[in-house]
Amino acid sequence: MTGLAPDVQREELVETTTTVNGEPITVAVPPRLHVADFLRQHLGLTGTHVGCEQGACGMCTVVVDGEAVKSCLMFAVQLDGRNVQTVESLAEDDQLNPLQQAFKDEHALQCGFCSPGFLMTATALANQGGCPSREEIREEIAGVLCRCTGYENIVTAIERWFAESPQRAVDDDATGLTTPTGPSTTGRRR
Amino acid sequence: MTTLERPSVADDTGPAPRPGGIGASVPRKEDDRLLRGDGRFTDDVEPARVLHMAVARCPYPHARIVRVDATAARALDGVKHVLTGPDVRAATEPLTVLRPVPGAPQLPYYALAQDVATHEGQPVVSVVATSRHVAEDALELLDIEYEPLPHVVDVLAALEPGAPVLHPSVLDSNLMAANSDGSGDPEARMREAALVVEDQFRINRVTALPMETRAVVAEWRPGARELTVHASTQVPHLIRKQLAASLRLQESDVRAVASDVGGGFGLKLGVFPEDVLACLHAMALRRPVKWVEDRAEHFRASTHARESVHDFRIAADADGRIMAMTDVYATDMGGWNSPFGSAQLSSVVMNGPYRVEHGYAERRVTLTNKTPIGAYRGYGQPEVNFAYELLMDRLARRLDLDPVELRAMNMVKAADLPWKNPTGAVYDSGDYEKCLRMAAEAIGWDAHRAAGRTPRADGRLMGIGFSSFVERTGYASARFLARRGSQFGAHESVTLRANRSGGLDLYTGVSTMGQSSETAFAQVISDVFGIDYDAVRVHAGDTGASPLNTGAFASRTMIAAAGALKAASEELAEKTLRLAAWRLESDAALLEITGSVVRRRDDETVQVSLAEVFTSAITGQGIPPGEEPGMESTSHFEPSDAAYSFGTAAALVSVDPGTGEFTVERFVLVHDAGTVVNQKIVDGQVRGALAQGFGAALTEELRYDPDTGQLVNGSMVDYFVPTAADLPPIELLHTSVPSPVTTFGLRGVGEAGTIPPGAAVANGICDALADFGVELNTLPITAESIWRALSRRAVQDDHEGTLAPTPGDLPDGGTGY
Ligand code: FES
Ligand code: FES
Repeated sequence: MTGLAPDVQREELVETTTTVNGEPITVAVPPRLHVADFLRQHLGLTGTHVGCEQGACGMCTVVVDGEAVKSCLMFAVQLDGRNVQTVESLAEDDQLNPLQQAFKDEHALQCGFCSPGFLMTATALANQGGCPSREEIREEIAGVLCRCTGYENIVTAIERWFAESPQRAVDDDATGLTTPTGPSTTGRRR
Repeated sequence: MTTLERPSVADDTGPAPRPGGIGASVPRKEDDRLLRGDGRFTDDVEPARVLHMAVARCPYPHARIVRVDATAARALDGVKHVLTGPDVRAATEPLTVLRPVPGAPQLPYYALAQDVATHEGQPVVSVVATSRHVAEDALELLDIEYEPLPHVVDVLAALEPGAPVLHPSVLDSNLMAANSDGSGDPEARMREAALVVEDQFRINRVTALPMETRAVVAEWRPGARELTVHASTQVPHLIRKQLAASLRLQESDVRAVASDVGGGFGLKLGVFPEDVLACLHAMALRRPVKWVEDRAEHFRASTHARESVHDFRIAADADGRIMAMTDVYATDMGGWNSPFGSAQLSSVVMNGPYRVEHGYAERRVTLTNKTPIGAYRGYGQPEVNFAYELLMDRLARRLDLDPVELRAMNMVKAADLPWKNPTGAVYDSGDYEKCLRMAAEAIGWDAHRAAGRTPRADGRLMGIGFSSFVERTGYASARFLARRGSQFGAHESVTLRANRSGGLDLYTGVSTMGQSSETAFAQVISDVFGIDYDAVRVHAGDTGASPLNTGAFASRTMIAAAGALKAASEELAEKTLRLAAWRLESDAALLEITGSVVRRRDDETVQVSLAEVFTSAITGQGIPPGEEPGMESTSHFEPSDAAYSFGTAAALVSVDPGTGEFTVERFVLVHDAGTVVNQKIVDGQVRGALAQGFGAALTEELRYDPDTGQLVNGSMVDYFVPTAADLPPIELLHTSVPSPVTTFGLRGVGEAGTIPPGAAVANGICDALADFGVELNTLPITAESIWRALSRRAVQDDHEGTLAPTPGDLPDGGTGY
């Protein structure tokens, strides 16, 4: 809540202009605020979760300029001029989008704390174009942990989603970009 | 199985499940909100003017707190309140234990350390400020002087004479208590046996690691004397009682709410120090206070699990028939007695699925200067399974018997069930051998055994390992729990209430933590009442809006709740039919509830909507004379005994005999959960538990430096839980033998998967390396440990001394846990 509560300590704030889920916003944020806290505490977008604040669990994964990013490792001020997509943007017309629906159909979640991380990772994966194999999906999502499901159904849901709409690569009003290149930000240590 | 109320739905010959009913794989109630980012986890609760707490923790494994000076912290702009040890002592009672160790004294466990802290991470001072940042800045300004004391982190060393004693005010040593159970005369059988196989097995310290850490938000309205506590907990009604006791409040003053819980697995059972602290601050400040554990705190100040040392022996005759088993083991408790303490089930299922008449189990609960041990999925069962299943394979090798046949010969036969084991557990029903045979066939055992041990083209040797197990689900009645001093019952309670839209609202104290109880509960109601699955809404986890229940743990929720759900649904269905009969001028016996209406079976045009019937009941208008208004039922149900799930796992592994590197190529689990409410959910539970089982077996281990007493790898970067890329291919097979002790024949399913991976993989490796004489006895299984065993060529007797049974008479027949 730094910067919002009336009796909060004064910190020098930095004006930041960004687009979150299609909506342009300009806010003044404290320099040491990370993106996950910014989304949760300043914008009320609590679908993005925090599990380690160390870049190791992937709970906080959001899509920034089309790429999966661990939002606990990025400062809010770094969002200036960039485009952020969170789990709250996925549903279409109050319905689950096809990726969310695949998760539901395949029982790809139990407690659901990790689900936003996997959904946003898969969303970014689609931006890379192509139709990943099961093994590739396993590697790509290995930067997000799940302690409930054993992953099998998550892999199946993502695989099915790709299979059912192979041409999903390049639309993008929401992210404002096409296919990013470079190493995945989701790959995990080890 | 005569008391069965319905045939197994998984049986092909049984009736097809009704849509949304028992046996149907329906969409989960929980999913939409969680997939849309609309779940409400505790950190998502953000009351106006909320303040944030941070906690200063002891950096030493054992230290006297000489002096605390919080002057500078208090002076920091934004800091609102600071609590130290004496404040907590003045205002609270020690934390209570829900599942005490029989015979152990209560430790004076306060929310902040008094005089001495006994593990790294124990809370010493807490600070509340306008933001978490400011609160953490304030921690930096605290001046705390510690006097480090001698520490002990090894569980066996802690039992040695001369070890530093953690709690000298109540104990002379670090042995909290020794609990023994048994039957027959195992020592005599050991002397007579043709063969005794024995070893000391070391089980690693791991942690449940739910993705959501612990969290609490406390609000106090002094005029109303109302403390509202949002917490990430598996047991809202139990923490309500515990908080009231520690805070010297009446239970009615406390409302505990668990909305969505991001995984529990046993870790979130009961009150932790920070829960009490957040409440104390909120009560002092009259402002809401939030604390969300960070991951570094989680690794040091939540609970760990499993660490234990088992000295296990199996005596057999020359044919391989088991004559006796004994397990004398030390379990680590860590520095304090957490609400559930160390695991109690190693003794209960010490013999696994095998028929053993002469058995003895002795548990030595041991304090060490480490993070407290708590419950974790499996609760003693994976630990003991590792010991007895490795010894079963050794027995087979020593007698040159087929390990599958050795197991089959010794298993309790279906016809002999129910059967009471040496420690007093009553195995209810099942066909253990069938699971074993199915696993052997699925993994290709006969072909493997016939092929002999020729290396594969890449030089690797192939091995197959089995692990057969039983899993206790639920509790053996409140009577048993009372004997153990447990502070909860064996039952579940629900309130079912109709609404004017024609739906049913179900109120339960079982919080939603991934176990799909909202879905499964609604399925049972839909099945019994006849209403559409979609018209049932489950309201979970709020003590202000649910009957007082037990909670979600011990694989007990469903097997206890199903009976309560059934009773409540039947009661409301009967009343609905009576009211509908009055409105339709018909005989209730001619009517049925289906979907959203009540109608005549023989003439569907004669019908009335549930909305109309429910509204008449709720308003009391238009109901038959003599009927009470209202449409609501609170029901309780206690199963007559625990239900035992069972199964066999088989692992196919390849091992490089040069380096010890290995791969689990295939893993098959054949498992029986009795009647299945929702197969998709059951499979999900089993797969999730298997993943945790593989983590504990292969990669997870919390290591303490013996010299400094510090946790060496307490971060997600250093503690390796399996990722999507790490798990072997897993095949699930089922049998479905209904349990006679539960409603519908259900067995619990939450924990089974945690049990067999370690033993199955280790046995596979020992099978592959049998020509090298490699035997394993330690978890986790790593390439290094195999390589060391290969270099040694034999692992026997590399430990010093064994834990011998305490001499004396055997307790008669065991009491179960
Ligand atoms: S919270 Fe960002 S990776 Fe764990
Ligand atoms: S569903 Fe619970 S962590 Fe993935």
